[in-house]
Amino acid sequence: MITFPRVVWAEWTKLVSLRSTWITLGAAAVLAVGLSGAIGYGVHHSVEGGEPPPALAEAVGAAFLPIDLFVLVFGVFGVLQMTGEYGSGLIRATLTAVPRRWPVTAAKAVVQVAVTLPVMAATALGSFLVCQAFLGDGGASLGDPGVPGAIVGAAFCPVLMGLLGLGAGTVIRHTAGAITTLVAGLFIIPLLLGPALPGDLEEDVMKYVPTVAGQAMYSVDGGGQPFDVLPPATSAAVMVGWAALLLAAGIVLLRRCDA
Amino acid sequence: MIEAQALTKRFGATVAVDRLSFTVKPGQVTGFLGPNGAGKSTTMRMILGLDHPSAGAATVNGRPYRDHAAPLRQVGALLEARSIHRGRTARDHLLALAHTHGIPASRVDEVLATVGLEPVARRRAGSFSLGMGQRLGIAAALLGDPAALILDEPVNGLDPDGVLWMRNLLKGLAADGRTVLVSSHLMSEMAVTAEHLVIIGRGRLLADTTVAELIARVVGTVLVRTPEATALRDALVAGRATVTSDEPGLLQVSGANAAQIGDLARRHGIALHELTPRRASLEEAYMELTRKAVEYQ
Repeated sequence: MITFPRVVWAEWTKLVSLRSTWITLGAAAVLAVGLSGAIGYGVHHSVEGGEPPPALAEAVGAAFLPIDLFVLVFGVFGVLQMTGEYGSGLIRATLTAVPRRWPVTAAKAVVQVAVTLPVMAATALGSFLVCQAFLGDGGASLGDPGVPGAIVGAAFCPVLMGLLGLGAGTVIRHTAGAITTLVAGLFIIPLLLGPALPGDLEEDVMKYVPTVAGQAMYSVDGGGQPFDVLPPATSAAVMVGWAALLLAAGIVLLRRCDA
Repeated sequence: MIEAQALTKRFGATVAVDRLSFTVKPGQVTGFLGPNGAGKSTTMRMILGLDHPSAGAATVNGRPYRDHAAPLRQVGALLEARSIHRGRTARDHLLALAHTHGIPASRVDEVLATVGLEPVARRRAGSFSLGMGQRLGIAAALLGDPAALILDEPVNGLDPDGVLWMRNLLKGLAADGRTVLVSSHLMSEMAVTAEHLVIIGRGRLLADTTVAELIARVVGTVLVRTPEATALRDALVAGRATVTSDEPGLLQVSGANAAQIGDLARRHGIALHELTPRRASLEEAYMELTRKAVEYQ
C-alpha cells in the first residue's frame, strides 16, 4: 500500500543518500557564516576609521547580506530535486512506483523543508552572532527589538525559496530551463519592473516580488531597502503564497502531462 | 493478465499507437515485437500510466495501473532507458523505491542477490556498466514480487552469460504463473524465450499468435541437391515454383513441398541426392509479416 508517509520516507532516502545534498547545503552554510563575519569585520574597520556606528537595522542587514545571494542556491537546490529526476530518467521509476504522482512533489516539499530548515536555522543564528561579534560594541544583540524575528525570517526565506524552486522545477522539468527561469524571475524581471512601472504602481508591485518580500522577512524596520516593503510576517505570507502557487501549478502539470 | 483495449496514442498529427487491442496471459513469456518506432515503448508506457492514452484503455490484473493500491506488487517494469540517479548507490536506489510500498530492506538485499549485484550494492550507479544498469533495472522490477512484468529490451547491453541468465529468469518467472511481456529486436533470442507473440507495426496489431503458428504461416523452402540441376529447375519453374541457387547442383525451392518435388523429379527421370524441407526461422517469419504490413499501408 502506498501511503503519504511512505512516499515521504522514500523521498527522504533519496535526498539524504546523495553526497551533493550535504556538499551543497554544508558549503552554503559555511560560506554564509564566513561572509557575515567578513562583512562584520569590514564594518567594524570603517567605524574605527571614523565612520558613524551602524544603526540597528544596518547591523542586522550586514549579518544577513549573504542570505540575499544564498537564496538562489536554495532555489536551484529545489529546482534540481525535480529536474534531476527528469534528467537521469529516474522520474519514470518514481512515477511508476507512485502513479498518482502528486504525493511525489508533496513529499519532496516536506523532505526539503525538513533538511533545509535546520541547516538554515543554524546558519541564520550563526551569521548573526559572528557578524555582531566582529562589530563589537556597535553590533546588535539577540534581545534588540525585531532581531529574533529577523533571524527566524533569515532561516525561513531560503527554505521558502527552495520550495519555490521545487515548484518551478516541477513546472518546467528541464534543469537549464528551470534555473534560467528562476534567475530571470528572481533577479532580472524585478530589475526591469522598476523602470517599466510608473512610480506609484512600482511601490505597490515591488513589495510582492519574491526577492523583495524575501529580504523583507529578515530586515528590521525595512532597513536597507530602496523602497517600501511589507512587514516581515506579511512578507513571509507573500513568499508562502508564491511557493504554494508554483507547487500547485507543478502538481497540476505533473498529473496531466506524459512523463 | 495485461489487457489493451483499442489503445490509441496521438502525438499531434502522428498516430503512434492505433486502436491496439491484445491480451497478455499469465504463465508464459509473451514477446512484444515490431520495427523501431512501431509504438512498443509508447504502449508499455501507457500500460504503466506514464503516458495518457488518447483513446482506449489498458488494464493490469483487471484495473488501470494507477488505480492499484500497491502497483509495484502488481507490475514490475524495466523501461528501455536507464532510470537511476548516477550519484546514488544501487541499494539506496532500490530502498527509496521499496519505501513507497513499505517493502522491507531485506527484500532489497534479496533482489540484489537475485540479479547478482550484491558485491556492488553500495557502489554509486554512475560507475555501472550498461549490463549492470540493466540488472539493477531488473532488481527494481522484481522488488514488489509482482504478478506481472513488463520489460523493454531487457537483454540490451548484456553479455552472453547475461543473455542466458535473462532467458532463464524470464522463463522461471512465467513458470511461476506470472504474466511476462518482453519487447526485443533480437529474433533469435525471442524464438527461444517467448511462446506467445504480439507483433505491431506503425502502431497497429499485425499478429497476436504463438511462435509456432507464426513460423508455420510462412511457407518454408526445400533444399534440393541434384546432378541435373538445370533440368529440374526448368521442370519446377514450369510447375510455377520459385527456384534460387547459391551453388551449382543445389536448389532452393519455394512454392512446392518436398513430396511434389520428389514426384516431379521421378516423372522427369531426374536423380535427387538430397531433399530437405526447411522451416522458416522466426526472423524470416517476422520479416515476411512486417514487410507485408509496410507494403499494404
